[in-house]
Amino acid sequence: MVDMITLYNPTAAQSKGSDVDSIYAPRFDTLQGKVLGFIDNAKPNFNHLIDDIAELMVARHGIARVIKRQKRAASVPAPEAVYAEMVEHCDLVITGSGD
Amino acid sequence: MSAETFTTSNDLDAINRLYRERGWSDGLPIVPPSVERVARMLAFSSLAPHHVIARLPPGFGEATVEQVAINAVMAGCDPEYLPILIAATKAVAETSFNIQAVEATTNPAAVWLILNGPIVQKLQINASFNCLGQGAWANATLGRAMRLILQNIGGAKPGEMDRATQGQPAKYTFCCAENESLSAWDPLHVERGFKAEQSTVTVVAAEGTLNMNTHSKQSEEMLRVFAQSMIHPTSNEYCHGGEPWLVLAPEHADILKAGGLTKAQVKQRLWELSKMPARDLSVKELLRAQASRRDEYGQIGPDTMLSIARDPSDIWFIVAGGPGTHTVYVPCFGNSRAVTQLIDMTHLNQLP
Repeated sequence: MVDMITLYNPTAAQSKGSDVDSIYAPRFDTLQGKVLGFIDNAKPNFNHLIDDIAELMVARHGIARVIKRQKRAASVPAPEAVYAEMVEHCDLVITGSGD
Repeated sequence: MSAETFTTSNDLDAINRLYRERGWSDGLPIVPPSVERVARMLAFSSLAPHHVIARLPPGFGEATVEQVAINAVMAGCDPEYLPILIAATKAVAETSFNIQAVEATTNPAAVWLILNGPIVQKLQINASFNCLGQGAWANATLGRAMRLILQNIGGAKPGEMDRATQGQPAKYTFCCAENESLSAWDPLHVERGFKAEQSTVTVVAAEGTLNMNTHSKQSEEMLRVFAQSMIHPTSNEYCHGGEPWLVLAPEHADILKAGGLTKAQVKQRLWELSKMPARDLSVKELLRAQASRRDEYGQIGPDTMLSIARDPSDIWFIVAGGPGTHTVYVPCFGNSRAVTQLIDMTHLNQLP
């Protein structure tokens, strides 16, 4: 008879069914007239990238207004005040890692 | 939630093959986390096995006491090491440690564990010869367990959510104790607000180790050569205002003490002597420093003298190692602050 052993799986479920589960906001049918926020991660040239994207979003998708805010550094979260401002004024926010 | 179990053939080679294929190891063979071994380790905590210590980014996995014990067994830890790893898991999850960035960054950030207090003698954690190198069971397996916890519970797998460009050897293991009996000053945990008779673990987001070898016998000269060795224009510390660490050789510490210097004076002098003109940064790093340290400096121009840390008190050191003229500079991640956590000694104090 083969000697058997019971072992543990060392991994933890990654955020499924938890309090930090991603909750997706309702999707828009159109971007027409919406206010768009950008969080610039402060890496060199990311400001230029989001300047161009903002221009395209206004010209092609009818975005009404753009709010851009820069974080101090890519490796830290944006200040709470920036999140509060985005929540208050923006319909959608784009963040990301530029370099 | 209970950790998942499975039953398999009790063959060490086959078990290691399985953990390797599933990406559950760090690349080295593991000790099989059997129900019996994990139960032996859980006896060293009063907390319920399902107690959630923290949720660990970047995957936000639940670090239960049981999950920590499982990974500690795999790393080869003795059962009595569990309270250290519970404290260390709590410490890395503190907001100021910024574990999300430390784990997900392209930088080679390792988590360095520093032990202080009576636990060091009790568990024979090496603070002397080769304390950052190989040879001591506790140092080797504790640091390894921390990495497995971050990888398996936090989800920071290389090339996936751990985006380190190269990483560094210390990502396998990085753990030592302070050589308190040879230190001329209060030990680290006392400096950070704990009592000498308490035991603590301090976590540091470390980017490497640099040997600073000097036979200098003069405190001012010694600090000057340390400071000049710490200056480098590719440093995250100058870019963001960091938290540099030193592992001072006991004999270097004696020379500084003989020079009449307190810990605060050592930090102040290192901070002054390690300033670097902003023009030495590359143009891109100058832009990054301007964004990151605007709140501190206002406008940063080429002539601005950048400090390695925002304040002299952000420079930290421990005294550790054996005889020799070597102090180690441990450059840190930049946007992370070390956290010190008390270790629950209840069960350890019952050991002979």
